[in-house]
Amino acid sequence: MATILETAAGAGVFNTLLAAVDAAGLREALDSPGPFTVLAPVDDAFAALPPGTVQTLVENPSQLARILKYHVIAGRHTRDALITQEAWDSLEGAPIAIRSKDPFEVKNATVVTADVECDNGVVHVINRVILPG
Amino acid sequence: MSTTTAPERTKAPLIPPSTHRYAEVIHRLEAGGSMLPDTPENLKQIIGIYKAYAVPMDFYWRDLLYIAERVFLNPLPAFKYFISNEYLDRPNSYAGDQSPLRIWRGTEKAHPELLAFMEWGETRRMPKLLHHLWHDRVNMEFAEACMQAMFWHQGMGGRFNDYLESDAYKANADRAIKAYFKGNPLMLGLYKLFPDMFLEQVRQLSTYANLGLFWEVMAPVFFEMSDIYDEGGFKGVPDAMDFLVNGIFAVAGRPIYHHVFIGGECFEIIPKSEGFTWLYEAALPYVEAVFYRTSPFRGTKSYNAQAGQVPGNQADFHYGILYADVYPVGSAGIPPTLLMQDMLHFLPPYLKEIYKQHRRGEEDELIQLGITFQRSMYNVTSAVIQALRCALLYPLDDTDPKHLQANRAFFEAQMDRFLRPEARLPDIQTQDYR
Amino acid sequence: MTLLLLLFLPVVVACGLPLLPAESPWVRRTALLASLGQLALGLVAWRNPPEDLSLSWLPQLGLRLDLGLDGLSLPLVLLGALITAMAVLATPKAQSRPRLFYALMLGTNVGLMGSFLARNALLFVLAYELILIPTTLLVAIWGGERRAGAAIRFLTYNAVSGLTLLAAVLAFGWLNPGGVDFSFGDLAHHNLTLQQQHWLLALVLVAFGIKLPVVPLHGWQPLTYSQAPTPVAMLLGGVVSKLGAYGLLRFGIQFLPDAWSDWSSWIAAIGAVNAIYGALNAIAQLEMRRLVAYSSLGHMGFLLLALAAATPLSLQGVMAQILAHGLIIALLFCLVGLVDTKTGTTEIPELSGLLNAQRGLPFTMGLMLLALMAAAGVPGQAGFVAELLVFQGSWVAYPIPTLVCLLSSGFTAVYAVRLFNRVGFGRLDNAKANWASTNWGERVPALVLTALVLVGGIWPTFLTGLSEDATAPLALRSSDAVTVIAMAPPTTTSELSA
Repeated sequence: MATILETAAGAGVFNTLLAAVDAAGLREALDSPGPFTVLAPVDDAFAALPPGTVQTLVENPSQLARILKYHVIAGRHTRDALITQEAWDSLEGAPIAIRSKDPFEVKNATVVTADVECDNGVVHVINRVILPG
Repeated sequence: MSTTTAPERTKAPLIPPSTHRYAEVIHRLEAGGSMLPDTPENLKQIIGIYKAYAVPMDFYWRDLLYIAERVFLNPLPAFKYFISNEYLDRPNSYAGDQSPLRIWRGTEKAHPELLAFMEWGETRRMPKLLHHLWHDRVNMEFAEACMQAMFWHQGMGGRFNDYLESDAYKANADRAIKAYFKGNPLMLGLYKLFPDMFLEQVRQLSTYANLGLFWEVMAPVFFEMSDIYDEGGFKGVPDAMDFLVNGIFAVAGRPIYHHVFIGGECFEIIPKSEGFTWLYEAALPYVEAVFYRTSPFRGTKSYNAQAGQVPGNQADFHYGILYADVYPVGSAGIPPTLLMQDMLHFLPPYLKEIYKQHRRGEEDELIQLGITFQRSMYNVTSAVIQALRCALLYPLDDTDPKHLQANRAFFEAQMDRFLRPEARLPDIQTQDYR
Repeated sequence: MTLLLLLFLPVVVACGLPLLPAESPWVRRTALLASLGQLALGLVAWRNPPEDLSLSWLPQLGLRLDLGLDGLSLPLVLLGALITAMAVLATPKAQSRPRLFYALMLGTNVGLMGSFLARNALLFVLAYELILIPTTLLVAIWGGERRAGAAIRFLTYNAVSGLTLLAAVLAFGWLNPGGVDFSFGDLAHHNLTLQQQHWLLALVLVAFGIKLPVVPLHGWQPLTYSQAPTPVAMLLGGVVSKLGAYGLLRFGIQFLPDAWSDWSSWIAAIGAVNAIYGALNAIAQLEMRRLVAYSSLGHMGFLLLALAAATPLSLQGVMAQILAHGLIIALLFCLVGLVDTKTGTTEIPELSGLLNAQRGLPFTMGLMLLALMAAAGVPGQAGFVAELLVFQGSWVAYPIPTLVCLLSSGFTAVYAVRLFNRVGFGRLDNAKANWASTNWGERVPALVLTALVLVGGIWPTFLTGLSEDATAPLALRSSDAVTVIAMAPPTTTSELSA
């Protein structure tokens, strides 16, 4: 299997995410053994944000890192594991609510594809960028 | 009342109508509108007052940063309002040619109307000191009152407050304090005796910086809104609100930091690398602390605990602009009155026209503009509510009834805060409220 | 000549008003000019005291047109003319049926002038009764909601007052051996026994007690004062009630001194009761006009006390109180009327925060503060001067009633502060505060009256100068109150010794 980042690069719909990871300086962290559970927003999710949002974040690595870390949960958790709890703590610190089991919804995003296994964790593909709060 | 710009639902609504007392407002929010009804006069009023607010705000943010970064721990800051030219010319990150994310088409330096007012005031050209002593100047005390509200209410969301209590912050502050008072045995001695006092002062100054960075964004947003309106670019109040929502998102990731310049060296008391964002650490706490809560103004409520006039629970405070009784009680220095007097100097002509035709005309412009300001802040709050909905919940045209119900619950929870009798939400629904 | 003009100028103008078109601004202007002209004539009369006039009218009845001005009546004439002028100015420009209104106002003025200028008792009674008709009509046509009841009650009480007075005057003639020609000079030097004087004084006390008013006979006053339109209330409270005091001074002290001295302790007691009753009732009132009415009732108690004591100083206090209180009451009614015109209500629970500089009535409330302070007897204004003279002069004669009146004066501060606190301070309700502000035309009467009240406070001679020489001979007790003087021979005028 590939690492999380290699899987994402191969999928072709995570260009913005990967660029963000680079800008935030999180590539090394996400390449480490982990394991991590990553909620990966597709490119359309970033595009749906109002104009300028991504640009401001990209120019400020620490702030961007915070948003990206909110999409990562420590440990390898598949969908079945995730739906056993109401909320999970992200790496950023704020909790991520599991709002619905079927369809699988994490905060205000729907998981388009769940349980994409990788070497150092599992990826769930989501259709919106999730934000703390 | 139907809005002119929101999309009409052509099919049956997916969830039944709300039964909340403010159901009409909730439905309007769900249709993409604002808490303020969409009428041409409302739009004219709020844009005019945004512009009148933005000019003194231009001074506020510059001076707040001046105090946070330069004046710092000066024990006798008699000249803290005497902003240096460096800060008057400090480029606004969101205006001017040099801006990477340009919001306002105008200049990055201080607004020309502000400079004219600083020179002339209401009287005549005088040395700055005389203007200051005569109090013929921008009422910076209002900005400081907002800062104190944020500082006192503390945990309004975000990580800022926790960081102020952390060891890293203490270490940073310690270095800065020692550097600032280098060669001053008296102050250093006091610092050894009362370290917490100095630390608390630094925390307050960090809040100054926080508010300054917050308003640095809002000023060009308001200026640009005024320019767009002058061109006819806004079709209604929802358009104006949408501009604010986009602005909020665009700047949401702006770092919040506190850098102090002592002897030419920059001390990062709160470095950018801590990851504090404009949205979570500045905007949302500001809205909560200043729009909703603030503090009761001296002379208007008894602070005597036995009198029971001030709520024991901080969350029950209801002295912000959204609940304000606009009549200035007349006491000197009530912060909203200070702001209203500031705005009085920069009213655009179309707004003065409206005021001349109603109530007592020019005699009570102060009150009329205060009420207009209240309307405009309800619009800003609507923008914040819509932005939060956009960030944390679902799009307004979502087809899943469960999602729509979640949106509905969110809006209703927001409207619950306006159930108390002091809320002005019902008043702003009619045009008579002047 | 001056005297005739003083009396007949308002008559002529009142009759001439119906000739003007109803909508014309000249109706109001003419009425104003007439009253100002009267004031000017009064000032001329002050400078050049006119001789007494004596014209034959109905000699069979003993009614002669005897007119004269002395130290007692000149201040009242000036007060009457001034208050009439201010009342005209305080009338709203959009007054309904203006010609009739101003004609009736001037008619009241005629009656007042006739009473003050009369030197013949029958003429006095005639003028006294003449006041009734225009005032009743003014209240009945333009008054408040309960004006019908107010007008009827006013008419009834004051008609009784007039009849009683007539009976007293006729009894003077009937009881006097050899008949009498009703002139004041004759009446002042009659030879009635003490017993007869008692009977006459009883009638006189009832008559003028209704007018002043005095406590058991005051039933008409609060209702009428509160239902009367503002200018009429100014006239009633400011001048017509002073007619009662003037009458007691003339008919009681001057003509019936022995009986007066006999009964004066009772009169002083009633004065004290008046003061306390008025003040305590005023504290309880929730409507501003009624509050002012009861306040007036209380102040009349001071008058009565000073009349009872009848020392030279207290009689000066009577004249001072007549002038000061006349001005203050007119001012208070004027200001309350202004609040009523602008806000539409005089109910205290409905008003609050009127001092607000942008949307309230700050000018009106500022003057009201001065007026209330004056009513409470705060130094610097005319009320203090008058009350000082009254208390200082009465203390030597009747210390206990004086103390009670002092206490009542303290109570006036209570209701004054209470009123101002409720109405002026506090929160202005945005939903209700849609009033126009007062313009300078509306402010003039209040300004003039306030200015005079202030002048009286810092220059006491303003209040007593005209009457000092006239009141001194009337005193029934010397300044140390030890000697009771009968039949009023001239006393030493040591006014300020205590």
